[in-house]
Amino acid sequence: MAPPDGPRGPGSDGPSDAADLDAPDGLADAVDVDTGEGELERTIGLSGGLAIGIGTMIGAGIFVFPGLAAENAGPAASLSFAIGGVVALLVALPTSELATAMPRSGGGYFFISRGLGTAPGAVVGIGLWLGLVFASAFYLVGLGSYAGQVFLEAGIALPVDPAVPLGVAFGVGLTALSLLGTENTASLQNAIVAVLLVILTLFLSYGGLDALGVFGAERTPERFLPPGGMLPVLRTAALVFTSYLGFAQVATVAGDITEPSRNLPLAMVASVLVVGVFYVVTVLVATSAFGSARLGEFGETAMVEVARAFVGRPGAIAIVVAGLLATFSSANASILSASRAVYAVSRDDLVPEAASRINLRYGTPHVALGLAGGPIVVLAATGRVELLAEVASFLHLVMYGLICVALIRLRRARPDWYAPSFRCPAGFAVAGCGALASVALIAFMRPASIGIGVAVMVAAYGWYRHYATDVELEGRF
Amino acid sequence: MTDTAPPDDPTRTDPDRPAVLVPLAVLEGEPLPTGTPDLLANAHVVLSGYHVIPEQTAAEQARAQFGETAMAKLEAVAGALRDAGATVETRLVFTHDRETTIDRLIYEHDCLAVLVPNGTERVDSVLVALRGTVGVGRNTRLVAGLFAESDVAVTLYHALNDGETIADGEAFLTGVRSDLVERGMDPDDLEVVVEEAEAAVDAIAGRAESHDAVIMGETDPSVTTFVFGMPAEQVAERFLGPVLVVQRERPAE
Repeated sequence: MAPPDGPRGPGSDGPSDAADLDAPDGLADAVDVDTGEGELERTIGLSGGLAIGIGTMIGAGIFVFPGLAAENAGPAASLSFAIGGVVALLVALPTSELATAMPRSGGGYFFISRGLGTAPGAVVGIGLWLGLVFASAFYLVGLGSYAGQVFLEAGIALPVDPAVPLGVAFGVGLTALSLLGTENTASLQNAIVAVLLVILTLFLSYGGLDALGVFGAERTPERFLPPGGMLPVLRTAALVFTSYLGFAQVATVAGDITEPSRNLPLAMVASVLVVGVFYVVTVLVATSAFGSARLGEFGETAMVEVARAFVGRPGAIAIVVAGLLATFSSANASILSASRAVYAVSRDDLVPEAASRINLRYGTPHVALGLAGGPIVVLAATGRVELLAEVASFLHLVMYGLICVALIRLRRARPDWYAPSFRCPAGFAVAGCGALASVALIAFMRPASIGIGVAVMVAAYGWYRHYATDVELEGRF
Repeated sequence: MTDTAPPDDPTRTDPDRPAVLVPLAVLEGEPLPTGTPDLLANAHVVLSGYHVIPEQTAAEQARAQFGETAMAKLEAVAGALRDAGATVETRLVFTHDRETTIDRLIYEHDCLAVLVPNGTERVDSVLVALRGTVGVGRNTRLVAGLFAESDVAVTLYHALNDGETIADGEAFLTGVRSDLVERGMDPDDLEVVVEEAEAAVDAIAGRAESHDAVIMGETDPSVTTFVFGMPAEQVAERFLGPVLVVQRERPAE
């Protein structure tokens, strides 16, 4: 490889604050071209990308939802998870194409603001920040439930349900940790994901064989579809879709991923497939161990009871540990993503520049982290798991739908800068179905969630009209 | 001798000048260590400013905020090196991982050596520790390129490997010496030392105390991609002066 040519240094590039966005470097492969203010090293490989995707997602689907989902939809909750997985795949493919055309940090917000213009961009950007805030709060309550389970396993009786207070405490702690700079979070994340996958594979293989009657009396399966037919299944699909929100987080670190044209699509699609399979199997195993109603009574930590039923106390403890790791890594990843979302809109002048200031001492974006961590803690304190999950899903689904629209629009308009190195197969069809499916899923949410989601979008649009009408982002690099 | 190649000149690298990478944590207030301009006066310096950012911060975000400041500081350092006679190229990288970045830059600029940036009062005598014949040509290119035009005293040093006799070691170093003379070094500036040593690292660090700088190779070639071989790092920690770590040839891609 020849050394990059051309002049370097501030004198050679002229004034370079707005100018550097005009440089045609959006398609840089291994390393972004130096624009006179330094280059960027891409340091996240395929395994790192997969760990971000899987690590963000797996916490919810396996360790929080099975009990709630089974209560609503019975064994057919596995179908709900499968539906969610198909919707996620339909969106992941167009997202991959856009991400290879614009391998920049900011993810879905970046694609929509560049592809569709400032107003949808602002709604999605601010919506993404709050969507991640809701998601983080949801994960924190899950984390609190598992931390509370630790007390139960240790035989310590607590006067109140500790899930919410512990979730809030973890929220404060994680935010502080991120502020002070955590080195090696990526390698920690990789290790956590590896440990989780091992525990889950063992547990699900055993549970799966047991459900088939290999280890003892065959269990009588209950009726697959719930009494209400497909409606509860679709409602549950809308509820548990939060379990798939992580794949697009891979795109939010697109600027840091090596060989983006190969690693971005692979990481996104593979992580959806991996977690989707785990979710479906988990629900099947869980509903084979207990009746759906009984699972529902166990709530967020139903999986602990399932493991206890199979292999006794050691199994329960293994799942408590796995649940702690999984919800911890989901919460942590979402808090960081929320702060990156704040940075992305601030870089584009949609919110005041101060929001993206970096603390030189710790190297961390303290204002953005505060804007993420503060509301997360407040929302976690409400403890409304299902509402938090649905609002998070709502705000993400709006973004996913618009990502699909952006793909269709860009493929039609073919601007010069649009040269993706990965092309979504059957692009128009996939993106069309992805957009429709995203909107359709929203329709099955409960009214309160839709109301809050719409209110956030209206507020975001109002902010755009008030603050940022003169910002033009379409096609800007 | 032109001291600064114009930046837009494609033939900016004088082929005789050995390319040396100088890493600098430019935003942490790390100054260019004293003595570095003298040591590298005849080198083509790849001045690599870097800033390590934590993983929760997007690299773009750091560049947007600190890029200009960092570049200005880097240019000031580059000026000092140019004044001493070096040709200089600057690179500035915002990274989550220092090793990856420096490794890539070494490769892209085909650098002969990397400087472990420690300070020294003067550059009068240099210790060159040689392991064996493998890749020794890169050492001689570096030494001759840096010091042929100067009157710096160079000590060639070899700690005996298992099964080697003093005579073997001396024959090896005498060969290196004549190669250096052929490349333009003054024979009077060259000294040869062979000794038996329990631990090569200790011996080199001990010897280094009577010199101003050390040139040595990377660690065992079977261990790949470590920028600073472990022995070189240990020597640098104890010696506290500048160490030039000669890089192995990279396999062509």
